[in-house]
Amino acid sequence: MGSVSELSQSNEYLSFRSSIPLRKIVVDEDGSKAWRVFDSGPKSVSCPLICLPPVSGTADIFFQQVLGLASRGVRVIAAEPPPYWNMKEWCDGFKRLIDYLELDKVHVFGASLGGFIAQKFAELTSNCPRVASLILCNTFTDTSVFEYHDSAALFWLLPSLVLKRMLMGNFTNDKVDKRVAESIDFMVERLESLNQAELASRLTLNCTPCYIQPQSLVHLPITVMDVWDESALSSRVREDLYKSYPHAKLAHLKSGGNFPYLSRSDEVNLHLLIHLRQFDGTDLSASYLSLHKMPPQSTISQPEEGTVSYFNQREKYVKIS
Amino acid sequence: MSSRKKVLLKVIILGDSGVGKTSLMNQFVNKKFSNQYKATIGADFLTKEVIVDDRIVTMQIWDTAGQERFQSLGVAFYRGADCCVLVFDVTAPNTFKSLESWRDEFLIQASPRDPDNFPFVILGNKVDLDNRAVSAKRAQQWCQSKNDIPYFETSAKEAVNVELAFQTIARNALAQETEAELYNEFPDQIKLNANDNGRNRDGDNCAC
Repeated sequence: MGSVSELSQSNEYLSFRSSIPLRKIVVDEDGSKAWRVFDSGPKSVSCPLICLPPVSGTADIFFQQVLGLASRGVRVIAAEPPPYWNMKEWCDGFKRLIDYLELDKVHVFGASLGGFIAQKFAELTSNCPRVASLILCNTFTDTSVFEYHDSAALFWLLPSLVLKRMLMGNFTNDKVDKRVAESIDFMVERLESLNQAELASRLTLNCTPCYIQPQSLVHLPITVMDVWDESALSSRVREDLYKSYPHAKLAHLKSGGNFPYLSRSDEVNLHLLIHLRQFDGTDLSASYLSLHKMPPQSTISQPEEGTVSYFNQREKYVKIS
Repeated sequence: MSSRKKVLLKVIILGDSGVGKTSLMNQFVNKKFSNQYKATIGADFLTKEVIVDDRIVTMQIWDTAGQERFQSLGVAFYRGADCCVLVFDVTAPNTFKSLESWRDEFLIQASPRDPDNFPFVILGNKVDLDNRAVSAKRAQQWCQSKNDIPYFETSAKEAVNVELAFQTIARNALAQETEAELYNEFPDQIKLNANDNGRNRDGDNCAC
C-alpha cells in the first residue's frame, strides 16, 4: 500500500488540504482523545451540516462535499471522532463537540456507521433536540446486519492488521467504473492511516448489538440516500431503512459503490442541496445564501459574479500547482 | 442480465414554464392537483414504485424549473437518465415550438450513448381547457418526424391519460435501462491483481 491514490493527488484534494485547516478538538477529560474537524464556510451559520464518516473513513473523505457546498454558502463540518467504545460515550462526546463549536442544532450527513450513530444521537437527544435533520447514506438501523455480534466484545484486543483485513473484504475492485475504483483506493489509504484503537472502537460500535427506535425520529426531516449497485448494501437492509422512515425522501443513486460521496460527489451534493433547501430562510438554514437558486454547476470551480464563495476566495492565494 | 435485480429508472421532465410539469408529476405520484400555480425553483424529484410487465421498478422523476432553460443544471442532474419527458401546453403554441430546443438541450447535456434511439415521450397537457391552439395532428406529425416519439394528450387537472403516459414512460425507460445494463456487463478495464474471491454478494457483512 505504498502507492498514493489518485484522489489524494488530485487538485481538489490538495487545495482542500491547503485551504482548510485540520483542527483537533479535545472535549473529553482524557486529553489524548481529540476530534478531528474540518470546519468550512461562514461561521455565522449556527446550524451547519456535519458529516460523519464510516468505520474506515477519516474526516477528509468528505472533501468534495466541503468544496462543493462551500460555494453555495453552506457551512460544512467534517468530523471524525476519537476512540469511543460505546454509544453513550460517543454521543456524549459529540454533544460536547457541538457545544464547544457553539452550535445549537445541526444537520447530520452520516455514512454507514456515521449514519447509524447520527440516528442514535438524534434518538438520545429527542427530549432536547440537537439534530435539525438527517441525511443517511448507505446506512442501517440495526447492527445485527453485520453478523459479528459474538466477536464484537473481542475487537479491542485484535491487532490492527487483523482489523484491517476484516474491512478489506468490502473493498473489491473488480468490475467497477473508474471513479468507484478511485474512491476505493482513497478509502484504503485512509484505512491504512487509522490506528488500532480507532479501528477497534469503531468496529465495536458497529457490531455491538444495538438498534434504532425510529418512532422517536418521525418529526425529523430525513433523506435516505443509497446506492443500488451490487457492491453496496443489500436491498434487504435498504428496505428496512425505508420502512423505518416512511416519511423520508428517498434519494437513490444508480451506482457509486460504498463511497458515493467520493465516487458520485456531484450527485450526492445535489441531493444534499435539495435536502438543505427546505430550511431556507429559517433558523435552521445551513447556508447564508438562498439554496433555492440553482446556479450553473460547472466542474471548474469558477466563482460566478455576484455570488460569494468562501472557499474560492481563499483558493486564490493558496493555489497549488 | 440479472433479471430480478431491483431497477431504478431516472426520468426527467422538461418543458417551458407553466405547461404543467409539476402538476403532471404530482397527479401521477400523489394523485393530487392544485389550481394554484407555484413556479418550481431549482430541481426536485419524487419517487414512485410502479409495476411494468410484472416487474416492480422504482421511478425517480425529476421535475425542473421551466425558466432554467438555458441555465445548465449540471451533468449530475442529467446523468443516468433513462427517459426524457417533454411537456407542452396545447393552448400555448410557443410551448410547442420550444420542444425542439428542449430535446436538443437534453441530448447535449445528457449525451446518451445512442441519441437517435434514446426514449423521449411528448405530453400535450391541459386538454381540459377550451382554448386549444395546437392540434393533435400537428403534434403527432412532429413526433413522427422525430423517430416516432410516443405522444399523449393529458390533463393533469382531470387525470386524463396521466397514468397511461407514465406507464409508457416507465416501459420505455426500462427498455433503455436494460440496454445500458447489458453494455455495462463488459468491464471497461482489465485489472491484473489477484482478486480471486470475486465480490462478496451481500456487501453488508462488513462495516465500511
